[in-house]
Amino acid sequence: MKNALAAEWLKLRTVRASYGLAGSVGLMVVAGALLSWLIVQDYDTSPAAEQVRFASADNSVVITPVVQFLVAALGALVATSDPRLTALTAVPDRKRLLTAKTALVAAVSVVIGVVTLALSLGGSRLIMGDRPPPIAPWDALGDVLPWAGAAVLSILVTGLAGLGIGLAVRSTAVTIVVVGVLLWGLPAITPMLPEPWNMDASAVMVPYLVWEVAGVIDDAPLGPSAAVAVLALYALVTLGTGTVTLLRQDA
Amino acid sequence: MIEVRNLTKRYGDTTAVEDLSFTVHPGLVTGFLGPNGAGKSTTMRMILGLDRPTGGEALIAGRRYQDLDRPLRHVGALLDPAAVHHGRKALDHLRWLAASNGIGGERAVELLEQVGLGGVRHKRIRALSLGMKQRLGVAAALLGDPAVLMFDEPVNGLDPEGVRWIRDLMRGLAKEGRTVFVSSHLMSEMALTADHVVIVARGQLVKETPMEALTRNGSLEDAYLELTSGRGL
Repeated sequence: MKNALAAEWLKLRTVRASYGLAGSVGLMVVAGALLSWLIVQDYDTSPAAEQVRFASADNSVVITPVVQFLVAALGALVATSDPRLTALTAVPDRKRLLTAKTALVAAVSVVIGVVTLALSLGGSRLIMGDRPPPIAPWDALGDVLPWAGAAVLSILVTGLAGLGIGLAVRSTAVTIVVVGVLLWGLPAITPMLPEPWNMDASAVMVPYLVWEVAGVIDDAPLGPSAAVAVLALYALVTLGTGTVTLLRQDA
Repeated sequence: MIEVRNLTKRYGDTTAVEDLSFTVHPGLVTGFLGPNGAGKSTTMRMILGLDRPTGGEALIAGRRYQDLDRPLRHVGALLDPAAVHHGRKALDHLRWLAASNGIGGERAVELLEQVGLGGVRHKRIRALSLGMKQRLGVAAALLGDPAVLMFDEPVNGLDPEGVRWIRDLMRGLAKEGRTVFVSSHLMSEMALTADHVVIVARGQLVKETPMEALTRNGSLEDAYLELTSGRGL
């Protein structure tokens, strides 16, 4: 197992796409900080009557969906970048190969999630300073931990989903399209469904689940525990499909 | 030693390999001959656990490939030199393969020198010529210093120098007592390389015999065509 994991880590470190994804995550953190700064500048020069109508300058809310997508692309990369023939010749025990890939994607996703959220929230705090709500929606970093935890969990789930879909469809491009539909396409459509389907369907979409897991929405259709279960289901279904495909299909 | 016992592979109604049995012995180069679509590559993929047999089994030193601990230390295979990540550097390709089987990274450097790719080890694979990719595939097969080696059409697309290099390599590996199993449809090349031949057509065994017995009364090509006439696809 140790050897398979070491090989997967080496594979990830020796392709340019990995550095492109890491750079994109870094760029999002910088862009998020710039966005917060611009909002604060606008806030400071606005009359008091308008200041109370400002949106939050916490950029983690904006960059988390993009980081989810980038981590899902990383999962797809781990699943599909090397031809299966070579991967299975080196590690023919398919369960071992799958475990190594899953452990790698999970670990990297959590690290990216924690670092990104820490930088994004820390940067937002510095930029917002001691300004009042609504532009600074929380007083201390402790207040925002439920949201940060939910965001990291969602990043982990999307990374594993990218891996699972990649193993199932065996194409990086198709995986990225499917992930895009799951993260952005369907959540854009569900609010347009007739009642009560619009609420029911939206409640199980990843972007809303993050808020439900954090428990910060009053009268949310799903409580935090149920939302965690639905989020876990995304990982289980996609990874399960990928597992069945890898274990049963010829290379 | 490779033992293939009653191996069968069906894809729906199509039978690619049917009840195939033969043995590949150490110390010899065994040629695996047959027309295009005869089931040679499918058989090799089943030996390596890449494709699941519909029936029968393939054993290496008495065990299935997928049951071998650190398989690259037992078997080296070159099935498709293009089955690599073309954006990865040559040395990195060998390093991850080595890491997957607990082989030190220095072995990768040593092998690249041995196959004549020392000077391009930091080049990305997409920048290598076909011959260089074949050599990289050979280096990957030799990583674990295995007792069994399998090559699928190893001289395809190679220049005369490359062809001779592969031939000498396979002969040398067999002389060291290793089991060398090589598929090809190039009769002239096989006549120069193989000691023993297994001929298949339409997924079935046609002949398993020493090369000498097959070429006693004529060329390998004549014998092969006689044996496979009417059996090709």
